[in-house]
Parts: sequence; structure tokens; C-alpha cells
Amino acid sequence: MPGLDEVSDNKSDGLRTAARHPVPRGEPILEMRALQKKYGAVEALKPASITFLSGEVHAIVGENGAGKSTLIKLLTGVIRRTSGEVYWCGKPVQLDNPQEAIARGINAVHQEVVLCPHLSVAANMFLGDEINSAGLMRKRAMTEAAQSVLDDLGFNLPAAAPLGSLTIGQQQLVATARAAMRGTQFLIFDEPTAYLTRQESAQLFRLIRRLQGEGVTIVYISHRMEEVFELADRVSVLRDGTHVGTRKIGETNDAELITLMINRTIEQIYHKEHFPAGEVIVETRGLSGPGFADVSLTVRAGEIVGLYGLIGAGRSEFALGLYGRHASTAGEVYWQGRKVNIANERIAIDLGIALAPESRRDQGLCLNLPIGLNINLPIFSRLTRGLTINRQKEIENADRQIRDLKIKTPSRRVLVSAMSGGNQQKIVIGKWLSHGAKLFIFDEPTVGVDVGTKAEIYRLFARLLENGAGIILISSYLPEVYELSDRLHVFRRGRLVASHDYHAASHEEVLTQAIGV
Amino acid sequence: MSADTVDSGAGPAPRKGVSILFGLTLLGLLLFLWLLLGLATNSFWTPNNISNLLRQGAMTAILAVGQTFVIITAGIDLSVGAVVGFTSVIVAWLLAAGVPLWIAIILTLAFGVLIGAFHAFGIVRMGLPPFIITLATLTSLRGIGLLITNGSTISITNEAFTNFSRANFLGVPSLFWMVIVVAIPAYVFLHLSRFGRYLFAVGSNSEAARLSGVNVHRTIYLAYILSSTCAAFVGLLLASRIGIGNATQAEGWELQAIASSVIGGTSLFGAVGSVHGPLLGAFILATINNGANLLNVNSFWQRIITGVLIIVIVYFDQLRRRGAR
Repeated sequence: MPGLDEVSDNKSDGLRTAARHPVPRGEPILEMRALQKKYGAVEALKPASITFLSGEVHAIVGENGAGKSTLIKLLTGVIRRTSGEVYWCGKPVQLDNPQEAIARGINAVHQEVVLCPHLSVAANMFLGDEINSAGLMRKRAMTEAAQSVLDDLGFNLPAAAPLGSLTIGQQQLVATARAAMRGTQFLIFDEPTAYLTRQESAQLFRLIRRLQGEGVTIVYISHRMEEVFELADRVSVLRDGTHVGTRKIGETNDAELITLMINRTIEQIYHKEHFPAGEVIVETRGLSGPGFADVSLTVRAGEIVGLYGLIGAGRSEFALGLYGRHASTAGEVYWQGRKVNIANERIAIDLGIALAPESRRDQGLCLNLPIGLNINLPIFSRLTRGLTINRQKEIENADRQIRDLKIKTPSRRVLVSAMSGGNQQKIVIGKWLSHGAKLFIFDEPTVGVDVGTKAEIYRLFARLLENGAGIILISSYLPEVYELSDRLHVFRRGRLVASHDYHAASHEEVLTQAIGV
Repeated sequence: MSADTVDSGAGPAPRKGVSILFGLTLLGLLLFLWLLLGLATNSFWTPNNISNLLRQGAMTAILAVGQTFVIITAGIDLSVGAVVGFTSVIVAWLLAAGVPLWIAIILTLAFGVLIGAFHAFGIVRMGLPPFIITLATLTSLRGIGLLITNGSTISITNEAFTNFSRANFLGVPSLFWMVIVVAIPAYVFLHLSRFGRYLFAVGSNSEAARLSGVNVHRTIYLAYILSSTCAAFVGLLLASRIGIGNATQAEGWELQAIASSVIGGTSLFGAVGSVHGPLLGAFILATINNGANLLNVNSFWQRIITGVLIIVIVYFDQLRRRGAR
């Protein structure tokens, strides 16, 4: 694969990687010995000893708060260890700063894209390492080099386009290409498929196998068991900051891994409780709006209606249309039998609709404000007495949601930005619980959320249904939406293309309908 | 799992905004300056000088409070100095035309409301950045004021009006009492009412606020109307103080207001601010001004000191916030 050298040295192929510090395949390339990180009295990572073998795909699984992000930050030099040692190719290294890690060939592709949307794809790929002659950037050379890298990887992406014009999934692929290009010897992937379509995930896996073939060591962090079992040679499990074990993939199964991760069994996660369906809460007839057209469905009390589809299929757009965020262009909505015009969010909320949006960072939370304020945001008018807010009720409500949802925080005054993904999702949900909605729309509620919190969220669904609410569940994770939905609708290109009762169709059928083969 | 979230429990978690400790630090700084100046020169601790200081600081303080509401929503209001000048012309013109005093006052304040609504309209309906729309008003209001006065000054002969600024109640200048008159409702609004909470939410993430049922447009209208109305109020006070209406008054006061707000702990990125912070910031700046005059320090040095002060205070505030992570 053409690397940075290509333009200046005319090397024809092969990653730069293989030329650096060659360690024979199967030998330890990075060894952590009793690596520990403490923040004050809190141990984010207890002394962990994991050995990564050269050329392997090593998966790491564990709940949020288990220490995975701490581990990544330690290995990429973002934070400093409290104690312990790291050996790289047999020699002890400091890894005090990101430059040192990159110089050694350790790179990471993060879950959230951390590139510059206003710059071109090529500019992003060469960011920090531009091709210069006499101080002037050789832009055309970089664009051509970037394009050949992308083509070589099989990513069908234009190198000259602004990064922001690509979908999030495509941006992730650019981030991956960038990391792969930099003379990487050790590449860490953190939940890389969270925003990828199925085709993009397949492209990513091909790339991973190819990098592996070229001698790169891959660390793959994911909550998706099927990916772990498809890609990895070995898997390590972290729980509560502790390394609880490493297994060869062939010698374990997902049930054992999950048990190691949370000390609970797999049956307890996707346990579907069926409630008797009550009256119709909402019915849409031919509803159309920006990004979706002609969607007709009903939701009854006590049932979960699942919307499955690839990213961009129009499900979130439908949810936002129903919620009044965008004006609908055609169709009707009936709320408890009565025709309504949901022109804005306030009307939707007052009717009794709650929305936990797709992106909790961009749409769901005010990150630099306290948990308590976020939780109470939809109901402040109810908490107001005359001119001022009833402080007592404000505090009580926030504390109650924190308690009921088991949000891990010392206080309601902590800023939301300090919370892990799972806890942030709980805060998004907690906003709506005191509101007493009848219809809950959950858009990707468990993306980036650890298994333990996932199970808690599913139990919460059951509680809501028990109390007579209805749920619309939007998910791109087929096992999840398949197991939980009483009725499953498949979306493709903005339209509702198929509907199934619980377990009436097979996974393959649903997938085929979503892809549209 | 995001790359940049801290595991909860990893060290003291960051808390919101302008803490009590920070407020006390500002108060301490203010008192320290007063002590220092009292020792450095005889004329500082005279009733006359203190009254002067309070009067000058009062106008900046009220401007700073209005400005803070806007900055909390992650916006900015560059027009407030121009509004002060413009509204001083308006009230002078109205009084000279024989309009009864209280009607003139109400009409002038109404102008403030209108200007603020215009800003919000530009931001919400036309999608203009706050910087741009308030910059436009900054330049054009001066022009309109000069047109009305034909470049000259309008004298105010209404003695009740002009005597107000010279009066004292309970030994304290009336202008300073006006600060209290503004500060108390402002505090109730910002910290005790839901509209204050909405300001913070919109400044933090307007999309999330909107999806949580906050009327974002109304909140923005509220912030800018309050800022311009505070400026109109200061215009009245200024006209009362100097007895004339002149379109070129209050040049640069918007920057003083912003500086006071920022020294008081408001973040220009939005979602962080208070009422007591900008007030203390304004009086710190007024004290520096006053002290520099008394010590015969070249007025150019005052600007440098103000600039240094902004850097120092904001830097240490950033450290405090980051240190909690």
C-alpha cells in the first residue's frame, strides 16, 4: 500500500510498517506488566498484565468503566501510568506523550471521528505530516497520494472532497486509512463499526485482515460479539478496571465472555417480556417529511415497535418528523384516535411523546451543564411556582432519577461531560421518566453502552410497558431490535418496506429487506 | 464509549460555573485594591471619590449584567455602547420636545426592547451570527443618532431628571441603587427561574434544548431584549448624569461590559455565568480606572492593566476548571 514515502522516495508498495522494528509473528510485541492508573484514590485500571503478540488481532471486551478507554489512553500516550511497565519489542518504553506513541508506530482509531470536517479528505489524511517542498505544501501530490491509498484499500471515497460532506461512517473509514498510512505497527480500533453500514464494516474487516497479513498488530475493542468472534485471534476481558482473563478465540464462546464481563448470563440480557397490547397510542397514515415518505404504522400500549434498517434508511428522520422537529409534508398522525398536527416539539411533549435522540452528544445532552439540570430540562414549567423554581422538587426529581436509573455519580451537580457513555444514555432517558410520557421513542439507545447498562435499559423498557406506555425502538443492531420488538418494521431509503410480528421472519429475511437485494 | 469521557469517580468531578470560591476571590481582589489605593493616596477614601467610583462603575455594571445574559447563550452583543449613546439622544430629544418625563423614560426603554428584538430576529429568522448583527447595529445606531441630532448636542433642561444622578439615598449615590434595582431581578431571573435555566441550556446545546421542549427562539429573544433594555436604561442614567444627549457618548463601553463579564467568570463559549460575577468585574475595572486617575497614571496604562487583568483572571479560572478533571 502506498505510504507517505511514495511521493518522495518512489517506493512502490508495502506498508512502511514492516520495515520498522520487525518482531517475528507470534512473538510478544507489546507487553504490559502490572500497568496501573489511579486518579487520586480511584483505580481506573488495576495492575494489568496483557501481552500482545505481533501480527495478531487481539480483541478487548468489557463494560464501560471497565478500564478500556483508560487502557487505550495509556498505550497511546495520552495519559501517564501510575505504576507498572510497558515493553515495546522487548525494550521498556515510557509512552508519556502521543508523539512518542506515534513515533513508535502505535496508533488508534477512535469511536468519535476526531478530524477536521472543513478540510478535504486528503488534507485530513496528511494532517500533521504534510508533504512539503521548501515549506510549501504540495497539495496536488497529497491529493493524488491520498486517492491512491483510498483506492488501494477499496474505499470508494473522493480524496478532494471536504471531509464533512461524507457520512459519519465514511469519515471513520478516512480516519482508519489515516492511521493505517502512518507507518503503523500497532493499531487500536475503538468501537469502529458503531456508525458504519454493513458494507463499510465489511470493507473495514477486509482492511484489518490485510493489515494483519502485512504484519500489523491489531487491538480491536467492541461490544459486538459476532465481530469479535469473526476477527479476533485472542480476546481479553476487562471488568471493573481489572483484567479478568485472556482466551484464544477458538477456546471460548460469547456466553463465557459475557459471564466474565458482567458476572451474569446471556439469557438475562435479551429477556423479552410480553405484555398484553392495550389501546392504540399513536397511528401514522402515509406520513412523509424530509428524509422519509409514506410511513404508516401504529403503536399500542404495552408493545415495542422496532424500526430496523441501515444507517440513512430514514428511521431517525421519521422519528424527528413525528416529534415535530421538522414539518411533515404529507400524511396524518392520530393520537389516541384523535387527529393531531404536531407542529413543534412542545406540542409533541405535551401530548406525551418522549424522544431519546440518535446522537446523545449532539442532540440529547447539554454536556457542560450539570446532570440535574439536564434531567429536569423538559419539566421546568411544572417545577415552577409563580416566578421561581421549586428548588426542593428540582433536587428531589433529579436525585430520584439518579437513584432509580442507578446513574453512577457522586452528585447531581457533576457535569454530564464527565460521565461514561452508558451513564450519559441513562441521563438522556432519565429526562423523560419524570415527564410521564405515553410514547417513548428510543433512537439507538445502546450505542457505545456497556452490557450491564444495556441490560438495565432493557429492563427499563419492560417497566415502561408495564405502566402502559408504548415504545418505538430504532436500532441498527439486528439482534437487539429483533429480540425486543413485538412488531418489527424494516426501513429502506426512507420508506417502510416490510413489517413482521415477533420472530415471524428470520434474521436473513429482515437483513435482505433492509439492504434491498 | 467515547475517547474523551472521564470514567466517573476519576478525581473530583467538574462542577458548573461560577463557584462561590471564585466570587469570593473577586470580592477579595476588589477589597484588596481599595485597601491598596487607600494607602497609596489620600484622596481615595473621600466620600466624593467613592461616590464617583460607584457612579462610574454602576453604569458598566448594569451593561455587564445584560451582556452576560447574551454571552451565556453563546452569543455576544457588540451594540450596547451604541445603544447607550443612542438612547441618551432619544430621551434628550423627547424631553426637549416637551414629552412628560415618565413617558419619555418608558418610550426610551421601549426603544431598547425594539433593538433587542431586532437582534434576535436577525439571529433567529435570518440566521445571522450574533457578532455580525450586533456589529451592524453598533455602526448604524451611531449614524442614526448623529442624523437625529445633526451632529450636535441636545441639552436636557428637566431638572428632576438631571438631579436624579446627583442625589444620594441613605448616603449612597442613586446610580448605585440602580445597580441593586437591576441586580436583584436579574439574580432571580438567572438563578431562580426556569428562563435562566433555559439560557444556560441554549448556550450549552441549543439542539438538545430544543428537543427537550425549550422554546429556543423565545429564549434568544429574551436574552437580547434584556441586554438592549439594560443598555437603554444605562442611556437614561448617562443622560441624567451629564445632562445632554449626544450620539457619540459611551464609545467603547461594550468592550468594558464584555471585559467585566469575562473577569466575572462568564465563559465566551456559553453556558457559564452569573449575576454577581459581572458586577464585581465592573467595579474592579472602575476601581482600577479611578485609582489610575488619582495616581496620575497615564490613561494608556489603564488599558494595558485591564488587558492584563482579563488574561490573568480568565487563565486562572480555566486552570481551576481544567484542574477538576
